[in-house]
Amino acid sequence: MSDSNRYDLSSKQPTFFGLTKDTALKGLFGGNAFISIIVLGLITLFLFKEGAGFFGQYRESLTLYRKSGLEYVNLMRDEQNAHASLTQFLNNIQSDRSTYYSEQGMAFSDVKKELSALDGFIYDFEDLGYELESYVQEMNELVMNARDAYQSNEDYKIFKANLEREGRMDEAANVVIAPVDLATYVAQLRAGEDTFLALSQSLVSGAKELILTIPSVEGEAFQAELDRFKNVVGSFFYEVPSFEKRIREWDRSLEVGLMEGVTSFIFGREWITGSAIQDWYGVIPLLGGSLTVAGIAMFFAVPLGVGAAIYVNQVANPKEQAFIKPYIEFISAIPSVVIGFFGIAIFGEFVRFLTNHESLSWISFFPISERLNAFTAGALLALMAIPTIFTLAEDALNNVPKAYKEASSAMGATRLQTILRIMVPTALSGIISAVLLGFGRVIGETMVVLLCAGNRIALPDFTKGLGAAFEPVHTMTGIIAQELGEVEHGSIHYRALFMIGLTLFCLSLLINYVAQKIVIKYQISRG
Amino acid sequence: MITQKIHRSVVAVLALTFSVSAIAAEKIVIKGSDTLGAKLVPQLAEEFKAQKAKDGVEVIFEIAAEGSSTGIAAVIDGTADIGMASRDAKSTEISKGMVKGVKMESITIAKDGIAVIVNVANPLEGISSREVEKIFTGSLVSWSSLNGKSGDVSVYTRNTSSGTYGAFQKLAMRNRDYASSSQKMAGNEQIASEVGTNANGIGYVGLAYLGTKGTKALPVDGVSPEKPDYSYSRPLYYYVDGNKEIAPIVQEFIDFTLSEGGQEIVKGVHFIGIK
Repeated sequence: MSDSNRYDLSSKQPTFFGLTKDTALKGLFGGNAFISIIVLGLITLFLFKEGAGFFGQYRESLTLYRKSGLEYVNLMRDEQNAHASLTQFLNNIQSDRSTYYSEQGMAFSDVKKELSALDGFIYDFEDLGYELESYVQEMNELVMNARDAYQSNEDYKIFKANLEREGRMDEAANVVIAPVDLATYVAQLRAGEDTFLALSQSLVSGAKELILTIPSVEGEAFQAELDRFKNVVGSFFYEVPSFEKRIREWDRSLEVGLMEGVTSFIFGREWITGSAIQDWYGVIPLLGGSLTVAGIAMFFAVPLGVGAAIYVNQVANPKEQAFIKPYIEFISAIPSVVIGFFGIAIFGEFVRFLTNHESLSWISFFPISERLNAFTAGALLALMAIPTIFTLAEDALNNVPKAYKEASSAMGATRLQTILRIMVPTALSGIISAVLLGFGRVIGETMVVLLCAGNRIALPDFTKGLGAAFEPVHTMTGIIAQELGEVEHGSIHYRALFMIGLTLFCLSLLINYVAQKIVIKYQISRG
Repeated sequence: MITQKIHRSVVAVLALTFSVSAIAAEKIVIKGSDTLGAKLVPQLAEEFKAQKAKDGVEVIFEIAAEGSSTGIAAVIDGTADIGMASRDAKSTEISKGMVKGVKMESITIAKDGIAVIVNVANPLEGISSREVEKIFTGSLVSWSSLNGKSGDVSVYTRNTSSGTYGAFQKLAMRNRDYASSSQKMAGNEQIASEVGTNANGIGYVGLAYLGTKGTKALPVDGVSPEKPDYSYSRPLYYYVDGNKEIAPIVQEFIDFTLSEGGQEIVKGVHFIGIK
């Protein structure tokens, strides 16, 4: 009997490998905790290790971009693009007119006839830029070839080094490395500067002449647009010297700053990969997309989640409670890929169908043509954030001491007054941290945004106001899921995706930290 | 007694099959691109097998389709007789081969066309290559000047890691960057289904996805995508080691692929024949 009596301190416990039952159990649980911490630490370390090389590599890539003269070509392209956007302006006027006439019930052939006068002008205007464009294209080819030759030469150097390491000296000696001097190509490029400036001048003088022949059109609104076009062209003329100045002042020998890799990642407005010209890794469009989607999700999820929590905790009878609570919590059991699939197959189509309805046509940005957009993804993500917010907010309300409620009722407050003035303010810290954790859940969600957000790597056009919510966006999580599978291991693109992962990591760390701080700081005193 | 008999006959049958396979079974290992390995090469292999079976030769195929990179790597490592690729071998890969004494030799067996598709509601009957370039680079954003219908163009492309993404950029866009307003879709099906439901949509897909509900392919510069002189097509290759003597059965299979019968199968799985 003595060995089963655990209060018997005198007797010896049976041991196994020198461990008693208690120490073994302690070791087991302690070991589990230890392993979890080690694994999490390793993951964090790995993230940093893979991401860390990015800034250096990116800076190197930017250096090559400058040294090879691609940057110079892009400066020339800026002027070409400015001219192209003027043509765009004219085309937009034509689009509006075409729409207008079609709505008047005119046949397309007649519409064409109506537009033809201005069409001729637009073609002439577009052709003015043609020589400049082909010059830029030609220079682009020249520089890109030089850069590619330079890069394959670098590859050959590695090849040679590999052969030498294997001790195959004869073969290594056969590998011819013809050094590519980028400077000579850039010199050639700059020798053409006068040609470019002449082309630029002839573009300006041509446009100045052509603008005098601009035909007038019917309809006051269209004429006003055309007049506006004249002003815009005027400002283009004004801008040209500054383009030319930047081209003349471009300096190849300028060092790319140490922090340039960092700043062009954090503030970069372009994420262009797999480009033949130059890859850009700017986080802004992806971060903007993630925040837009998350914002839309929170717009729906916060009132619904918190409202449901208040109802269940304060108003509902036990029967309702027994139904609503498990029901809402059940939503979180739906796999996100199923929700995403639902979004593609049904919800997106439904949103588009709704916006096409006549009763909504007074809204300027309806009907929409993309069924996969930030709104579709955001609305579905709201569904996934509601259980998190609901459960945590309900817990927070539950934690308010009963005495508060009773005291309030005893003072003669109505139930609504008690809820709004006593319960919610007291539990506010818990509710806010519930909302923050819901936000963290949304920003880290991948499958739904990958399937339903439309994957357009650009900031939504916020000048459209609420219409921006119906534009396709791409997100930080989505881009990692979409691109990481196929990028070359260790390449700059690979590391850029890890940097995105790190950004996400820091973002959720921050959210969780703030949520905990709020809970602790504003905890209700139980005194 | 009876069991003993059965045993003996089983042994006999086994011995027979082993002896037959020892005499006439030949093996071809093919690895690489999933564009080729999904349908075309397995079908070619089946047909080839059936033909050789008539001559009493059994051919065993081992086909693994895990991407062009794996195919080229397998030829370099000598673990495959034929590497399938939907792109040219890169200079790094060629030099890696040279280190190991492998000379990469390509054989064009078919062409993969990339068709430009729009919604059936789009009145457009054809498109010029200059217009395609303008649309995909983002300098043409409205349909009205093309087909007289209002609405902004919705451009759907593959994602950046797809081989088709780069191929289309090279073939149709003079290597210029895609419009930032383009939407990167996960695969051909998704592009086809988005274009099929969006009247303002335009995108590109492999020829096998032509005829998806709600879409139609546009002839480019008047040439429809199935024609051999269609401009948006990329070659598909077999890669072999040029420094090694090719086994006769492998050579026969390559010849069969290039023969009329082989090219019929090529067309059957929606690629463009090379003849």
